[in-house]
Amino acid sequence: MPLFVKAQRFLRNLFSSRRMEMDLDEEVHAHLELLTEENIRAGMPTGEARRAAQIELGGIEQVKEQVREERLGNWLHSLLSDCRYGLRQLKKNPGATAVMVFTLALGIGATTAIFSVVYGVLLRPLPYTDANRIMAVFEVNSNGGWSHLANPNFDDFRDQNRSFQAITKYNSNIVSVSGASQPSRTMVAGVSPDFLKVFGVQPILGRDFTASDAKKGAGPTVLVSYGYWRQQLGSSLDFSQLHLKIDGAVYSVIGVLPDGFRFPADVDLWLPADLNGENPSRTAHNYYAVGRLRDGVTVDLANQDISAIARRIHDTSSEQGDYLLKDGIVLPLQDSITGKARPALLVLLGAVGFLLLVACANVANLLLAQTSVRERELAIRSALGAARGRLIRQFLTEAFLLSLVGGGLGVLGAFWGVAALVGLAPQNLPRLDSVSISIPVLVFAFLLSTAVATGLGAFTAARATSGDLRKGLEEGGRGQAGSQGSQRVGRAIVAAQIAITLVLVVGAGLLGRSLMKVLEVNPGFRVDKVIAMDVSLPWVEDPKAKAGQGIFFSRLIERLKQIPGVHKVGAATALPMEGGFPDGMFALITQNELPKTVDGFGPLLQQKERLGIADFCVATDGYFQALGIPLIRGRIFDERDGADAPHVAVISESLARDRWPNQDPIGHTIEFGNMDGDVRLLTIVGIVGDIHDYGLDAPPRPTVYVNLFQRPRSAITLTMLSDADTRLVTSSARGILQDLDAEIPAKFRTFSQVYSASLGSRRFNVILVGFFGITALLLATAGVFGVMAYSVSRRTREIGVRVALGAGSGDVLRMILSQGLRTIFIGVAIGIAGSLALTRTVESLLFGVTATDPLTFGGVTLLLVGAALLACFIPARRATKVDPMVALRYE
Amino acid sequence: MNSEPTTLLQGTLDLLILKSLLAGEMHGLGISRRIQQITGGTFVVKPGSLFPALHRMEEEGWISSFWGDSENNRRAKYYRLTKPGRKQLETETKRWGRISWAIAQALEAS
Repeated sequence: MPLFVKAQRFLRNLFSSRRMEMDLDEEVHAHLELLTEENIRAGMPTGEARRAAQIELGGIEQVKEQVREERLGNWLHSLLSDCRYGLRQLKKNPGATAVMVFTLALGIGATTAIFSVVYGVLLRPLPYTDANRIMAVFEVNSNGGWSHLANPNFDDFRDQNRSFQAITKYNSNIVSVSGASQPSRTMVAGVSPDFLKVFGVQPILGRDFTASDAKKGAGPTVLVSYGYWRQQLGSSLDFSQLHLKIDGAVYSVIGVLPDGFRFPADVDLWLPADLNGENPSRTAHNYYAVGRLRDGVTVDLANQDISAIARRIHDTSSEQGDYLLKDGIVLPLQDSITGKARPALLVLLGAVGFLLLVACANVANLLLAQTSVRERELAIRSALGAARGRLIRQFLTEAFLLSLVGGGLGVLGAFWGVAALVGLAPQNLPRLDSVSISIPVLVFAFLLSTAVATGLGAFTAARATSGDLRKGLEEGGRGQAGSQGSQRVGRAIVAAQIAITLVLVVGAGLLGRSLMKVLEVNPGFRVDKVIAMDVSLPWVEDPKAKAGQGIFFSRLIERLKQIPGVHKVGAATALPMEGGFPDGMFALITQNELPKTVDGFGPLLQQKERLGIADFCVATDGYFQALGIPLIRGRIFDERDGADAPHVAVISESLARDRWPNQDPIGHTIEFGNMDGDVRLLTIVGIVGDIHDYGLDAPPRPTVYVNLFQRPRSAITLTMLSDADTRLVTSSARGILQDLDAEIPAKFRTFSQVYSASLGSRRFNVILVGFFGITALLLATAGVFGVMAYSVSRRTREIGVRVALGAGSGDVLRMILSQGLRTIFIGVAIGIAGSLALTRTVESLLFGVTATDPLTFGGVTLLLVGAALLACFIPARRATKVDPMVALRYE
Repeated sequence: MNSEPTTLLQGTLDLLILKSLLAGEMHGLGISRRIQQITGGTFVVKPGSLFPALHRMEEEGWISSFWGDSENNRRAKYYRLTKPGRKQLETETKRWGRISWAIAQALEAS
């Protein structure tokens, strides 16, 4: 039959349903009349004829329903009527409906919010063309750790590989930039010429780097980000006028990159790396590397390729030792950026998934309570010809209505939740800017709601339509049929809820105890009242110019000390907790052994007993005073240690203990010239306390401190210990710097900000998992309460009989409580088993507690049992108040 | 409800309805009695099966309906064969012939 006829009928069925219904009704009635007439003609008395006709017809409503089922578009029609009916059902119990919608909104919303973070950070492709073809390349060192690339190693990777169509190295730094609208500290990347080819990016204005831009001694050129060009360069199109003074040298702007391109993170300026010449060492790991795979090359093949080159370097290099690469590794850039964040985010996703399960369990229990009330209604509908499938569809429709409304509200809430999450998230979480409620996140939320709806609908439908529906009528409408069974199911749900909640709260407890343990760690330095100020002067090589910078800093420090309220002022190359200091290998050498030429160091460095590894920190005496790092023995730097006096060093306690066991290191000399190119020996003059400079949860690292005034640096962080108002100190300090050199920008922050940022990711996890745990606990408690209260109300009559037969209120209380306790204990037992199995997944996030910490397990179990018992106690108390007379008259 | 004959083979009921309407327009009861008659009482089609089939076939366009008066001047809904219905009857008849022949063959082979 032609399609349009079908469509016509479809529309007629849909829109003229009232006329169709009347027509059908009339037809069936006419049929009945004809049958009756036929029977009368056959000789039956009128009454009998009518009865026989009715029997043959088999029920007017049932026949009509069967016809409706056959109609075109019946599914849509019945869907609409199911929806109408479902809405009416839900409106009948506004309280329960509101609770269910809210619970689902909470579960789906929280899951959606967390998923949006997981999606934005881990799953969303990087915003580059064929981003999955961009790989990060690392060296693998002798102890299996990954490190950045040394120049000659990168050059070999670039020249010898057969896997990459383009490969580039890069690093990034904050430096002082002037020449734009105002001097600022800007993130600048040094890159090799193929950088943009790897990312598949072209400048929107101007040109890309060429090989000649990167040659030693080439005229300095710079590419700028779109945002920088708009804000700092006034969107100027005349590049011949655009010059930037970056780190003391003047660069010509040659191009503007597309809006949104900021790689590595937060970079605004890209310059050719190594314009002053490359560092030829194979153990100076100064660069990251990324490459774009050739077509058809897999990650595995690239790995084999790079690994072979790396091993060849290892076998043939003259620079042997722990710092020389042993192997190489290639992995997708996205994994290398987000790898560290992955475990914690997956734990959060798992935790919120558990919360969702607990929420669904509550809704399932509420629906279950409603279906047992609705048994009579179901029996009537079934008697009127509704097929079982139709009834199941009805339940599915209702579940969908609930879930979609709940999911919709949840997504609205998730918009707010994501904003809150982004605000709460630790600063070091990568790709935070790509977290949002995007289309894939919305699709996820929709699929999640659908899954929840299907689960809930199938569950209630299976419960409601199991067994013989007609019993509901036979029981005289007391609505008691099947209640025993559904109460058992309800208790099973509650037990599952308790189990899941226990796992969640144990996880939260373990993370919380870890945070507490971390906070108990003595950092080894003062956290409050310290203001940090970053200042960087242009990089210089000439020793005289370097000394001049040292004098500049000492003058700056003297001036800063004059600020009212500032007690101590120090400086160092970095702050503790902010990524640490560079580390390297030093050698124990006495003045007499000091070789005359650099080549003479070779044999000395082969003697393992002379070598040691430590972090290298350039600092002033005021640094120890401002941060309150205690002097253990000897002295710190003072006036004696001028630029021309013998160079001195202060070492940390753990280094003294480990490198000079049973010995006094003071007076010993060490050679640490590989860190700053100054081969003069350092005499150890003092020992200071250990500091946890890589975060409280990392052990303190052995550290060698050298004097800023003997080993000058261009970029330092000043530390000021002050009682005065931070803003006053900041503005005075800014004024002083302006006074000394108007072209040097400064950046300020308090050390307590740095300190709390170092705890950011731990706090983030504790807050979220704790929030999920508490919410699950509340939901589970509500679940226990609901099931117990329902059970007591169902057993009112029975309890009345018991009381009438002489049971005391204690007996009743014990009976109800023991019923509840059984459920609770089953849940707790499963929960503990589950926790033991699952907490291993959070092991990498723990500190100072084991994944099976008995205190946490015990405490959480007590908390949960206590809350659940309380939830049982209220209905149990009510049960003891049952008046036997009232109860026996009940119903 | 004795719906066994109609579920015996998919399409059997449609074929019987089309066949009985070949004799002329008829109301539901008429079709039911006609089927009983032409099958020698083997098939008794109950309204619960008949009406859904009639409505479905009408939607397919094989039959059309109108309200008319019965022999005893009662209002009743009548059905008549349409042109596509006649074609459908031919197709169904051929198909049924093939099936019954095949089944007979199968049963005779021992």
